[in-house]
Amino acid sequence: MNGWLLTAGVVLAAGGAAALLGVATGPLRRRVVAQNLLTALACPGLLLLAQAYDRPSYVDVALVLALLGPVGTLVFARLLADELAADPPRARTLTWAAAGLGAAVVVVLCAAVGPSRAMVKLLVTGALLIVGNVIASHALSGGFPGESR
Amino acid sequence: MIVVALLLVAACATTAVLVRDPVHQALVLAVLGTVLAVLFTVLQAPDVALSQLAVGSALTPLLMLLAVRKVKRPRRHKGDER
Amino acid sequence: MNRRTRLWLVAVGGAGLAALLVAACLELPDFGGDRHPYGDRAVHESLARHTANTIASVNFDQRALDTLGEISILFAAVVGCVVLLRQTRDEHRARPRPADVARPVRRYALAVLPVALLTGLYVIAHGQLSPGGGFQGGVAAATALHLLYLGADYRTLERIRPVGLYEVGDALAVSAYLVTGLACLIGAGSFLANTLLPYGTFNTLSSGGTVPLLNAAVGMEVACAVVVLLARFLDQAVEIVEENGT
Repeated sequence: MNGWLLTAGVVLAAGGAAALLGVATGPLRRRVVAQNLLTALACPGLLLLAQAYDRPSYVDVALVLALLGPVGTLVFARLLADELAADPPRARTLTWAAAGLGAAVVVVLCAAVGPSRAMVKLLVTGALLIVGNVIASHALSGGFPGESR
Repeated sequence: MIVVALLLVAACATTAVLVRDPVHQALVLAVLGTVLAVLFTVLQAPDVALSQLAVGSALTPLLMLLAVRKVKRPRRHKGDER
Repeated sequence: MNRRTRLWLVAVGGAGLAALLVAACLELPDFGGDRHPYGDRAVHESLARHTANTIASVNFDQRALDTLGEISILFAAVVGCVVLLRQTRDEHRARPRPADVARPVRRYALAVLPVALLTGLYVIAHGQLSPGGGFQGGVAAATALHLLYLGADYRTLERIRPVGLYEVGDALAVSAYLVTGLACLIGAGSFLANTLLPYGTFNTLSSGGTVPLLNAAVGMEVACAVVVLLARFLDQAVEIVEENGT
């Protein structure tokens, strides 16, 4: 078991357990935040797994998650806008912490990969992940102000 | 790694069964989809992981929430404009 | 046949199936062992046909007929959905109100839409090289289109999404798969046999014979199917209003 795999395991286990706990209990605002955070944590985990198994093509999985995860959160934000407007979630600290973790993982992996096409892909994935999560979090806490249909 | 991922999937799936409200179930399902994708990646099956992510992260919640919205929406009278 | 006989029939059939399954499971190679009889043969075959991703080779070359069955199932499911969720006589369309979307969310949706579409196409095109393929890429691309609904409103989505065209595209893609199979039948002697086209250079975009073609057909089929499916669901949830007193 190398260091990459260990880190990936810690990130995924902690993130998964926390998200599961958050999504299973509590008010709706906590559940949607937990769902959003799982994307933010699973994506760095998958990137670390790709590095741990030494299979650059596994980065594709993380790339698709970075794209579609925030879209999934936007789905919830859009269709549950009424419920969320009454009780908006506030998770600024958590969101930025997750974004910071994602950025740190991407930077470390870039340093490990070295300048190449793989690094560009990593950077694109990281940028999509961070922007997507911050925006999705913003959307959850009042991104759809009017009553939307 | 495999044990961790398997435990997460089992816990998540059990939660999905135990949660009763459809909206909350959709949220748990979205989480389950992501966790399953991690499990498939750990089991060296990235193709399946990609399929699971593509379907589970955005498409299934969207379909479920749209169905919930259609069922919950009250019927309106003829000519009732909003 | 009365109730008792039917129950017995189910019990006997189920018991037989269970016994066979258990027997088959006992003969399986151990989990995580280093003996992979099927895997070794599949990898050998896919390398012989210059397909880097063995999964794509299994799906679109060695077991291409199974994939034809799968896309037919999806096609039939979508057709059923379209029939069930059509607008009936006692329903009318209400014009949905434009939604109020925060500016960053709108910008994000408009910026990510092309990126997601491109990623979908990339996943389809690299199906024979890296993980992915028609199904995954098709779903990603179709989901990307619906960012317009999330980031703007339903009317914007409708403007760029003529559902009729997508229905035609869905049918065309399924027939493209069939036509490729028939071309193989005529040119190579058996249905969907991957011996018609040159295999190309290993690990390049054009390698794998018919695999990229079938991949593209499946990608188009899945993307169109998902768009049509979501269009029906959105119609029902957003536009179609049931009138009272039905």
